[in-house]
Amino acid sequence: MTEVGWAKRSVPTRRDQPAVPRRVSRLRFAHSTFLVDRAPFLVACLMLAVLVAIYGALRDGVFTLEELNLDAAASMALLLAATGQTIVLLRGGIDLSIGGMISLGTVIAATEFGDSWTTALPWGIAIPVIGLLVGMTNGLLISLLRLQPFLVTLATWSILSGAALLILPTDGGTLPQGWMAFGNASLVGLSTSVWILLVLFLFWLWFSKTRLGVTIRATGSNEKSAFLSGVSITFVNVATYGLSGFFAALAALYLTTQTGSGSPTIGKDYILPSVAAAVIGGISLFGGRGGLAGTVIGAFILTIIGNLVFVLSVSSYWQPIVSGVILLVAVLASSLAERSARRSVT
Amino acid sequence: MTPFLSRHRAIVLAYLGMLVLLFLTSFFSPGFLSVNHLRTMAVLAAFVGIVALGQTFVIIGGGIDLSVPWVLNCAAILMTLVANGQDQPLIYAVPLILAAGAAVGAINGAGIALFGVPPIIMTLAVNVILQGGILVYTGGTPPATAPALIQFLAVGRVGPVPVVALLWLTLALAASLLLSKTPFGRRLYAVGTSAVVAEFSGVPIVQTTMLAYTLSGFTAALAGMLLTGFTAQAYLGMGDPYLFTSIAAVAIGGASILGGSGHYVGTIAGAFVLTILTGLLPALRLSNGALLIVYGVVILITVSLASEAFSDLAAAIRGALRRAEPQKGET
Repeated sequence: MTEVGWAKRSVPTRRDQPAVPRRVSRLRFAHSTFLVDRAPFLVACLMLAVLVAIYGALRDGVFTLEELNLDAAASMALLLAATGQTIVLLRGGIDLSIGGMISLGTVIAATEFGDSWTTALPWGIAIPVIGLLVGMTNGLLISLLRLQPFLVTLATWSILSGAALLILPTDGGTLPQGWMAFGNASLVGLSTSVWILLVLFLFWLWFSKTRLGVTIRATGSNEKSAFLSGVSITFVNVATYGLSGFFAALAALYLTTQTGSGSPTIGKDYILPSVAAAVIGGISLFGGRGGLAGTVIGAFILTIIGNLVFVLSVSSYWQPIVSGVILLVAVLASSLAERSARRSVT
Repeated sequence: MTPFLSRHRAIVLAYLGMLVLLFLTSFFSPGFLSVNHLRTMAVLAAFVGIVALGQTFVIIGGGIDLSVPWVLNCAAILMTLVANGQDQPLIYAVPLILAAGAAVGAINGAGIALFGVPPIIMTLAVNVILQGGILVYTGGTPPATAPALIQFLAVGRVGPVPVVALLWLTLALAASLLLSKTPFGRRLYAVGTSAVVAEFSGVPIVQTTMLAYTLSGFTAALAGMLLTGFTAQAYLGMGDPYLFTSIAAVAIGGASILGGSGHYVGTIAGAFVLTILTGLLPALRLSNGALLIVYGVVILITVSLASEAFSDLAAAIRGALRRAEPQKGET
């Protein structure tokens, strides 16, 4: 078998070793493995705390409920996209097609929602279903054609962006007023976005314990032994990428409540940040490690960086630069840790 | 099949596809095969081909370079800014910008080869950082027009042949020699086929990978400056289309995206196929969106042709045919 390309290349060295037992034997206490496993997540929490402290020192009213509402609203589209990406990363893959799916979702919403709930509601349900089906197609293609995830999703990214451009060639379209009001409403002092955040947490508490959740994580950490334990890799791929497409579509829907229009090109701005939020929050690019809490922290870090850039009144174009650099540092740290873990075992 | 044909089947197929496509398009739009139009196509294909040159090296080495769009865009904008419409500053601006492009490529390569960062993440992050960087630098407003010399390189002619096509031909020869006749070329194929085996065979993986990405940064910067001459000015987002086209050109040209196979000779046909397709779509009244869909489908089809699944299927069909034949004889 010719195993080449990055996704597969990282595999044999890690998978040939029983990673957990040897690491445990090197450490004396059970609680230190707990810390070691969660080190990237804890570093991310620390980073968020420092950033929030800096932000709080620069501006009044940071530690209020209102600020939480604002920040949750600012990071929710990214967070929804990153939730899908987290599931894919846990399985050891990557989904570039969310760039196309988010664009497609916003343009469908902007052209089809119309003015009344009778048209908006069916389409509001149809868009996540479309996302699910598109994602499932990704998973099916990856399994059937035995191709690397990034290749298949790169191709579908292009196809979906094309479809979005066909539906709406330029930014525009309209959404019902009620839809935007729903996205920016508040209940018991908490905005819609904070409620979505809570629902996401509940979803994750449930999902990570389900058979599928455990299977995805197991497949990501060791595909071969998952397969030998009776897991259908095709099913896992279809479910994983299906969920990613579903969450990308939800991100698109949320985005339309904020922008009030559709954009055939907006999705590509979410590809790298979605991976960045997950990786900064401690989800391993090599599969199997991390959870949604990390991704939430990661998304908030990216949002606070955006706020800081605004407060310091430097050019807003600095935000992608800072996020990109932080992402690279996080990835470098995790791949160096990966490498030293390998070395210490051999 | 002769050994030559079977060894280079994918490349031969790419050229056949190009000829069939040319033939078909001449039906749809008369005048497609006129000298003028062929010349225009050669110019457009040259830009794709030059960007795809570096991408070919990277893909043969088993990686992928997604930082192409903004390396190209940064080079274009920096060149117009520094030159400010004059020819004289180009003497130092062009070499400096080419070196900067190569340096960005080297950083990509270092992150990937030295630190084990996955190529997609590394190059995508560098792409975003460059995008942010050039936006901060220019404040979001596009700069002055391209100097006359660059415009001559991009749209001028030497006799009947466009200058940029000649330039492309020179680069193509150099790239082909580099791939086929130098130790670097052989090592690149080895790394792309199996990095582990290559490492145990004494191939300097880090240098080889870094050199491939360096070349990609270099050609993207070069293409950026030339493209400025073609459009007469640099603008933000001019590099975006070249992400998909550069990868698609390599894939159509018969290189396996999994690395280890392919040749720049094939990429040239890939660049032409894409240019013909791009030219064909307006004639068919298809829009930009349709073009993106076509690119995606083309990438998907060509990479699946190269995948294990497809060769297994082909082997299964061959096996079934072989089994079917004696049965026919018996009955």
